[in-house]
Amino acid sequence: MLALDPRSYGNEKSAASLMEEVLILLLGCISNRGYKLTFESPKNDKLALFQHGERAFDHILLLPQKSKGTSSPANVDDFGLPNPGLGPALTPKLLVQFINQNGNILLTLSADYPTPTSISSLLLELDIHLPPDRDSLVVDHFNYDAASASEKHDVLLLPQGSRLRSDVKDYFGGDGTIAFPRAVAQELGNSNPLLAPVLRAKSTAYSYNPKDEADVVEDPFAVGEQISLVSSMQARNSARFTVFGSAEALENKWFDGKVKSVDGKDCKTANREFAKQIAAWTFMELGALKVGRVEHHLSSITGDAAGNDSVAQLGYLNPTIYRVKNEVTFNIEISEYSYDHLSHLKIDPSDALQLEITMLSPYHRLNLIPISQTPNSTTFSSTFKLPDQHGIFSFRVNYKRPFLTNVDIKREVTVRHFAHDEWPRSWEISAGWVWIAGVWITIAGWVAFVGIWLWSEPAYEQSKGKKMQ
Amino acid sequence: MRLSRQLLSFLLVIYAASISVAATWGFEDATVSVNKKGAGVGGGFKEKIGENKALSKPIALGASETLKILLTTKEDNKAKRPHQAFLLVKDPQSNLDTSFAFQVKENGKGKIELTQKDLPAQLLSSTGPLDASLVIASFGSTKPYSVKAFDLAVELDSGSPLPSSEKPLRYGKLPQIHHIFKSDPNSPPKIITLIFTAAVVAALPVLLGAWISLGANLNHFSTAFSSSPIPHALFFCSILAIEGVFFKYYTSWNLFQTLPPAFGIGLVTFLSGSRALREVQGRRLAGLR
Amino acid sequence: MAVEVLEPFLKGDTGRNTRGLLRLIILCTIAAAAVASRLFSVIRTWHPLGRVTGGTLYPGLMVTSGIIYHVLRLLSMPVDIRNICVLLAPGFSGLTAFASYLITSEMTTSPSAGLLAAVFMGITPGYISRSVAGSYDNEAIAIFLLVFTFFLWIKSVKNGSAMWGALTALFYGYMVSAWGGYVFITNLLPLHTFVLICMGRYSPRLYVSYSTWFSLGTLASMQVPFVGFLPIRSSDHMSALGVFGLLQLVAFVEFIRQQVPNKQFQTLLRGLIFVVFVVSMGVLVLLTVSGVIAPWSGRFYSLWDTGYAKIHIPIIASVSEHQPTAWPAFFFDLNLMIWLFPAGVYMCFQHLKDEHVFVVIYAVLASYFAGVMVRLMLTLTPVVCIAAALAISSILDTYLVADNPIPTETQSNGQATGDSVKSATNMIKDSLRSTRNPVLGIYSYISKASVVGAVTTYLLLFVLHCTWVTSNAYSSPSVVLASKLPDGSQHIIDDYREAYYWLRQNTPDKAKIMSWWDYGYQIGGMADRPTLVDNNTWNNTHIATVGKAMSSREEVSYPILRQHDVDYVLVVFGGLLGYSGDDINKFLWMVRISEGIWPDEINERNYFTARGEYRVDDEATPTMRNSLMYKMSYYNYNALFPAGQAQDRVRGSKLPAEGPQLSTLEEAFTSENWIIRIYKVKDLDNVGRDHASAVAFDKGNKKKKTAKRRGARVLRVE
Repeated sequence: MLALDPRSYGNEKSAASLMEEVLILLLGCISNRGYKLTFESPKNDKLALFQHGERAFDHILLLPQKSKGTSSPANVDDFGLPNPGLGPALTPKLLVQFINQNGNILLTLSADYPTPTSISSLLLELDIHLPPDRDSLVVDHFNYDAASASEKHDVLLLPQGSRLRSDVKDYFGGDGTIAFPRAVAQELGNSNPLLAPVLRAKSTAYSYNPKDEADVVEDPFAVGEQISLVSSMQARNSARFTVFGSAEALENKWFDGKVKSVDGKDCKTANREFAKQIAAWTFMELGALKVGRVEHHLSSITGDAAGNDSVAQLGYLNPTIYRVKNEVTFNIEISEYSYDHLSHLKIDPSDALQLEITMLSPYHRLNLIPISQTPNSTTFSSTFKLPDQHGIFSFRVNYKRPFLTNVDIKREVTVRHFAHDEWPRSWEISAGWVWIAGVWITIAGWVAFVGIWLWSEPAYEQSKGKKMQ
Repeated sequence: MRLSRQLLSFLLVIYAASISVAATWGFEDATVSVNKKGAGVGGGFKEKIGENKALSKPIALGASETLKILLTTKEDNKAKRPHQAFLLVKDPQSNLDTSFAFQVKENGKGKIELTQKDLPAQLLSSTGPLDASLVIASFGSTKPYSVKAFDLAVELDSGSPLPSSEKPLRYGKLPQIHHIFKSDPNSPPKIITLIFTAAVVAALPVLLGAWISLGANLNHFSTAFSSSPIPHALFFCSILAIEGVFFKYYTSWNLFQTLPPAFGIGLVTFLSGSRALREVQGRRLAGLR
Repeated sequence: MAVEVLEPFLKGDTGRNTRGLLRLIILCTIAAAAVASRLFSVIRTWHPLGRVTGGTLYPGLMVTSGIIYHVLRLLSMPVDIRNICVLLAPGFSGLTAFASYLITSEMTTSPSAGLLAAVFMGITPGYISRSVAGSYDNEAIAIFLLVFTFFLWIKSVKNGSAMWGALTALFYGYMVSAWGGYVFITNLLPLHTFVLICMGRYSPRLYVSYSTWFSLGTLASMQVPFVGFLPIRSSDHMSALGVFGLLQLVAFVEFIRQQVPNKQFQTLLRGLIFVVFVVSMGVLVLLTVSGVIAPWSGRFYSLWDTGYAKIHIPIIASVSEHQPTAWPAFFFDLNLMIWLFPAGVYMCFQHLKDEHVFVVIYAVLASYFAGVMVRLMLTLTPVVCIAAALAISSILDTYLVADNPIPTETQSNGQATGDSVKSATNMIKDSLRSTRNPVLGIYSYISKASVVGAVTTYLLLFVLHCTWVTSNAYSSPSVVLASKLPDGSQHIIDDYREAYYWLRQNTPDKAKIMSWWDYGYQIGGMADRPTLVDNNTWNNTHIATVGKAMSSREEVSYPILRQHDVDYVLVVFGGLLGYSGDDINKFLWMVRISEGIWPDEINERNYFTARGEYRVDDEATPTMRNSLMYKMSYYNYNALFPAGQAQDRVRGSKLPAEGPQLSTLEEAFTSENWIIRIYKVKDLDNVGRDHASAVAFDKGNKKKKTAKRRGARVLRVE
């Protein structure tokens, strides 16, 4: 196993590793960006993922481990079980806890090395299913490397990059061909929205157990495009977990290897680029969003005035209370991290950053439009009229997309009703004129009456005043 | 899309035919039949499938029917069991696919039975017919076979509810919502308002006229002012002032600005009013009113 | 002998002044006593009424305290507004005593009756219950306004004065701004007028006072935003409007009768009036049916049919104050007055002037209402005090005269005090035979002494009772519970404050707390956290939502909690201490209220066992045991006891051996005596599992590997 720690440079501590070759190559892609590497065998007693309750590492790369007999003495199973776990430091519970504390894990599997039970039960928790038989591997008689696996067909050749959905950003794209030797199939549960397959097999592929199903396969574990060869899981806290179905694909042999397709064409593998993409994505160098300023204010106050007249200066920014039917402008600034710098976020036209104005249920759901852009960020904006319902509303930008870190920004504001002096005045309502006239006529009549009462002389013997009494 | 795929398979067929040098996988004696449960053996639909060509008509699969395919797989025209003998069912709209493995004996005789229960819910709820292909392949260099065999039209039982094919939660864009505001209250046509307002305003002249015709006058003005000028002046002015305060309240003041002057003027009204009215009472008692 | 010494002071002009002074001093003492008796109570729940929406409460209380605050500030007396709020109710109770003195003095010529009424009003537990220091509630000022409005009304009916009528309307408007119970006045005054008309007592005085009150009062009441247009649109107010119309008709007829003394014409007119009345009633009914006029409010229906609320508006029935009154409550709250009350009412029949008719009507209505709802005991109290004071004063006036009665003395006595009343008295002829005979008096000193002694004893006992009730029942704060230890020392149970303090210290400022609405104000006031529902019952659906969340399974409740952004849930559990006012005992109301809105999802029957018992032990129904409320109450409760010994001391039942499991909530806080339990609502699982399996995983239960697939595959769709 390998743990990566980008917090300091150098000081590499290397321990017994089974596939150093793989490591070096993979790390060639990523280590020049300043990760501090620690190599540990799971059997190491001192290995601990947590120190004082905090994560000791930022990322973990788990490599397959030889089971007994085939590996160095250090890996002989201490407990005598055929398929050992990963030891007390790497129980599924601790790994889930590692994810819950924002740690990223890149897990590689190989059909040659049986997957430990602790790994498969961890995957089961995440709704990723591995073949029940540990030796199962994926073959495709239609897409294999004719050069190296002309007989066994277990080195799959797959085109790089097909988009998951048309509205999802493509981080794993490219034109090359990936060689995928001795892969372990994964099947993803349908109900979990946090999962996303990165690389899927072709429809003619299937997974079989070379021991039990050597002659014919009659009930394959997984078939066709449902076979995920590289799967990703992004937790709700945006921690990333990637299952890489073939550790051998990261070996030197395939990084810059040459392969021959079934129809006889030679081509170079794109494994290096793909590995770089996978590692970068898993270790938060791709698809990580950063929210900058989040502002909202009355639209009547122009936001672009500078200096003392600016919205912020006047104190009109982000008020906690609005009135119903106010015109409000909401701005949010988002950057996307790309390998080593923040860049502006570009959203595909088929996708949209959406703002919800919610109280129990959304009253508005509006697309935010990019209004300005700096090299490092994009500002999205929307102007809307608050609903005619008072209460505590939240302005919520809930941008969850596959492969992008979750953005869930919520700003609570109180929306009050009209104050008594904010309604239109009575004379502005034409229907009120009758009543207003009535009031003033009554007043005039009353004043006249007072005058007459005070100063009128009786016209007749039987005076009017008496009658009125 | 569909066309290109068919074209592709067509080309593949040509290709396979042209390079007959390489060994290929194939099959013979393939029949597909659809039987209703309980019905006799020969009751349902039955058709032969030829190698490298699809049936022209889609095959309908009802709710209680069983689709059955029998075939013999061959490698280079020799009956042999391949490692992979699948019926690949694909929804051309959603691009979802799944495969069903044949039960193939050593001698290459394969059989598959399929009912609606075996199909995934997502495929069952597809609106168009599904593509069913036969995939026969194995290890080694023999060329694999994968050609569309027929269209499979799933006929759901209208009585039973659709299998739960509710789309699971996936994060993505949601439809926009725009709040529908309550409409503003309406006023009646202005002309009606004006007519009624005029009627109300006309009431004052009518009232004054009626009073005058009944003999109202201000003849005692001088009497009143000569006997007690200050109370009368104050009383009448304070009444006017109260109306003025009321007007200010109506137009600009708030309650707390209104109340102090109103109280003050009210006091003046009360004090001067009692004097003034006492004077009026004096006149009345004197028989002058 | 003392009488002789006092003689010069009690007779003639000096006598009148002395008596006046004496009366004033007595009144002040009563007021002071009334205030003082309320001060020895510990502050009850302190919760200023505050809500986001301003148009849904009666502003009178807050405006009053605000005005007092500003006036005191103006007089350079910097008193904290909090102190004003605390002392507002006792202060107003002093005014109430004064008002009842005034109104009783209008009833009788005897000066002692008013003073007695003031005393009664000052110390009766029925009123103290609502006006101890710190009970900052609408009723605190409303009862004073009620009594004073009635006094002004009596005054205006007696004098036929537009000024008194206007004053009545003014205080009526104040009353409207202060308490929803103003509807009582809105209906009582028209009823009084109506009865007077029916008795043939129509007079221009009645016309002037009623018309003034109605027109000005209606306008005044419409100024209160919460009331708005109700006075012209709701059935509750229609009787006032109807009587107003009737009065105009009657006045018109009277006018015509004076002009045209034609017998046949009058009959015709009578018929006409009848027809007009019937037609207008018909229009009223039609408008009500068509919905222009709002139908009677639910609370009003529950006054006529005590079972109505339980079926149709459980939310009203769920409040303990809205339950029908138990008969001991009358004795508890009113003591000796309850049996003096009929005597007083009888004495009103003896005179039966306009004002006595009013007391009689008031007595009848208020007695009925007090029987229907505990809360309305409050409206009964003033009239009971008045009637009892009339009775006692008449006894004392008769027996507490040292001199032998001389037939003329009563006459002169009446002359001395009843100047203002006299003219009015003469206008109405004595209608009952008993009043025609002059009252002579008692000659025997023994009977005088014994009766006076007995009455004095009763009065002393009354004072004793009032003191006892006040100190025991109405002075204990509801947030702090006190219990006696076996050795007699007092043990304070302070769980509420402990829990609210915990909330205040340990939760984010904006954390939303869900609890049953009884605790809304306390959480808002003492923990300073927003709550979903509070003690104001204006949004039935919202309360029902909380009820549904409490009474449903976790899987149903959790989305509701999420939707409402709930961070913490607070429940009150008395099982450990035997505190019976806990949420499990209120639970059925939550179920009923939410059943009213979601009859398909919640069914009260499911919470009862097959034999119709409400149980929490092994035999509790699955619905009950799966409800969030049950789970939150008994979560981890087993751990306090040896295995299988868990006991609920309120319900007196042994709990199931295995306690409930919670997966969507986690226990955040439990107070010392387990009275308050606070749970934190968990976030969605970080890696997308459902809560139950996440909890199982944390407990170390391995997920079973997916067994051999059965049926069709499930494809993953992107």
